[in-house]
Amino acid sequence: MSGRPGWVTRRLVYGLPGWMTAMAYLFLLAPIVILVAFSFNEARSTVVFTGFTLDWYREVFADRNIARALRVSLIVAAASAGLATLIGALAAVAITRRRFPGRTLLATGLAAPLVLPEIVLGVGLLVFMSFSGIRLGYGSMIVGHVLVTIPFATLIIRAAAASLDPRIEDAAADLGADEWQTFTRVTLPQLAPAIFAAFLLSATLSFDNLVMSTFTSGVGTTTLPLRIYSMLKLGITPEINALGALMVVANIGIVLIVMGRYLPLMLNKPRPVEPERKN
Amino acid sequence: MTVEGLGAQHCAPMAPKSGAAAATPAVELLAVTKRFGNMVAVDGIDLAVREGEFFTLLGASGCGKTTTLRLIAGFELPTGGHIRIGGQDVSEEPAYRRPVHTVFQSYALFPHLTVSENVAFPLRIRRLAAEERRRRVLAALDLVQMSGLQDRRPAQLSGGQQQRVALARALVNEPKVLLLDEPLGALDLKLRKEMQTELKHMQKRLGITFVFVTHDQEEALAMSDRIALMHEGRIVQVDDPTGLYNAPVNRYAAAFIGETNLLSATIDGGDDATLRVRWLGHHVVLNRPAGAAPSGQAVTLAIRPEQIVRAPSPEEERAGGLAVDGVLTESVFIGTDLRLIYRVETGETLICRVQNRAAATPEPGERARLLLPRGALRCLTS
Repeated sequence: MSGRPGWVTRRLVYGLPGWMTAMAYLFLLAPIVILVAFSFNEARSTVVFTGFTLDWYREVFADRNIARALRVSLIVAAASAGLATLIGALAAVAITRRRFPGRTLLATGLAAPLVLPEIVLGVGLLVFMSFSGIRLGYGSMIVGHVLVTIPFATLIIRAAAASLDPRIEDAAADLGADEWQTFTRVTLPQLAPAIFAAFLLSATLSFDNLVMSTFTSGVGTTTLPLRIYSMLKLGITPEINALGALMVVANIGIVLIVMGRYLPLMLNKPRPVEPERKN
Repeated sequence: MTVEGLGAQHCAPMAPKSGAAAATPAVELLAVTKRFGNMVAVDGIDLAVREGEFFTLLGASGCGKTTTLRLIAGFELPTGGHIRIGGQDVSEEPAYRRPVHTVFQSYALFPHLTVSENVAFPLRIRRLAAEERRRRVLAALDLVQMSGLQDRRPAQLSGGQQQRVALARALVNEPKVLLLDEPLGALDLKLRKEMQTELKHMQKRLGITFVFVTHDQEEALAMSDRIALMHEGRIVQVDDPTGLYNAPVNRYAAAFIGETNLLSATIDGGDDATLRVRWLGHHVVLNRPAGAAPSGQAVTLAIRPEQIVRAPSPEEERAGGLAVDGVLTESVFIGTDLRLIYRVETGETLICRVQNRAAATPEPGERARLLLPRGALRCLTS
């Protein structure tokens, strides 16, 4: 009966990781659940739930300013993610496959925006733009977003490129493929899932970005987060809740697409090749 | 100019070319050196692989055999020397312009392509028509007995099957020379033996020159027409399997291939053609090897365990050789053979190998007279 730790103690100790996980999820997800719930609230108040309505969604879709901001956000996200992924992919292949002077510098430089405060990058870019007389607008914002997203794009593709077996490229060359054919027919297809993931992550990061957009947006290029932020100055309205709920759904959709593309690949991963026997 | 003249002109360059092709080595290495930083991987080797030959680069790991193969394939460029393939100097050519294909130890199949797409890859690069491509892919898969698995991905195949696909992919283009980098290294013993026979037959049937890399001496002896034994980036000996086994040129070659008794002996006279060698106070007269000093030089006598005669007849002893008395210290049963370890006069050991005949299994402690026949002894100076 005695000598062993008590039932309660054991339950607490062994249950602790589970409880902590549950609490973490609660704190993470509860605000989102509340936001979605109140987007269907009839009353203008964000404290008391009075009844179900879809009016706020109707209002979001009717709001011309929101529609314009969404369009700006999508254009900037697509353009900056495309650029970041392109540069990231080429840089990743160069860094993992080639030996050239400044290779480490390039690798560090591309990852640097990760550790630099975004606000400093934003101010710096703004100063640079006004110094060189560049008008703020799509161009400046896309450059800013590429700066913010390129570390992520590069890191994802670099990890994939580093895990490729260099002998597979040797094999392509051996079978008569020149460097361009080897790249397009062998290297690129193997990197495709990582490039796709890098693009989606960059696009999502760009779509959510507030700080960089604040410094680089010009007249007529207000993004959705900027729009929401300015709406908030007039108080939290159920319209913002509805907009937030729509963005959550869109983001979950993207995550599902990524997983749908990645999961089969992960489950069907080729077995690791034998350790190479180097003479 | 007559029509016949034109015809002769057309034919003329062809005739000497085909005549010369027989003499031109399929692959030729001239003083090829490869350095990686301070490390010399390949140290000025000369090599000529004949056309249609099964040629093996054999050696322990780190001897430079794989680097040599990679130099021929073009994955590495030599630091010095020249490489010729079919008479053409390809020393500076990139891998994709060399008329050789490689079978990799890790197979290196393209993971994103199916079996038939893998095999079709070199044909696609050469922009062959779809019809021709399909025909040749099927023929190649048929050759390696892999028809029926065309639509699988490499990840869905066993090691042996991946091996066969890699072989089909390397053969589909009908290369003049096929390079194989320890292709059987990852297979289990039984499958490896089967593939050895199959590869050998395939090579003879297709008449393609094979350059095969292995660290497995049995594999090398079983498959090769000729073997180059490598050590520390250099070639120790190039010979056919029997030559390499029966007539090793130095201690390293003698010890690397099979089992050998290496006996420290001294030169004790002789003339231009012969050599008197002393071992444990016994003398034997052997043919003089190149580089042997007249007298007093320490040499090594090498003899294979199966060539030592136990309890020789008087006639056998009269034929010449070294005869000593030994005490059996250990007898090891290894299936078809018995491995007998004798201690002789000064404590040196002699390993002796006899066929296993159920009737006579000698017991440790047994004394025996051992004859090292003159013809089986090799005098090694290095």
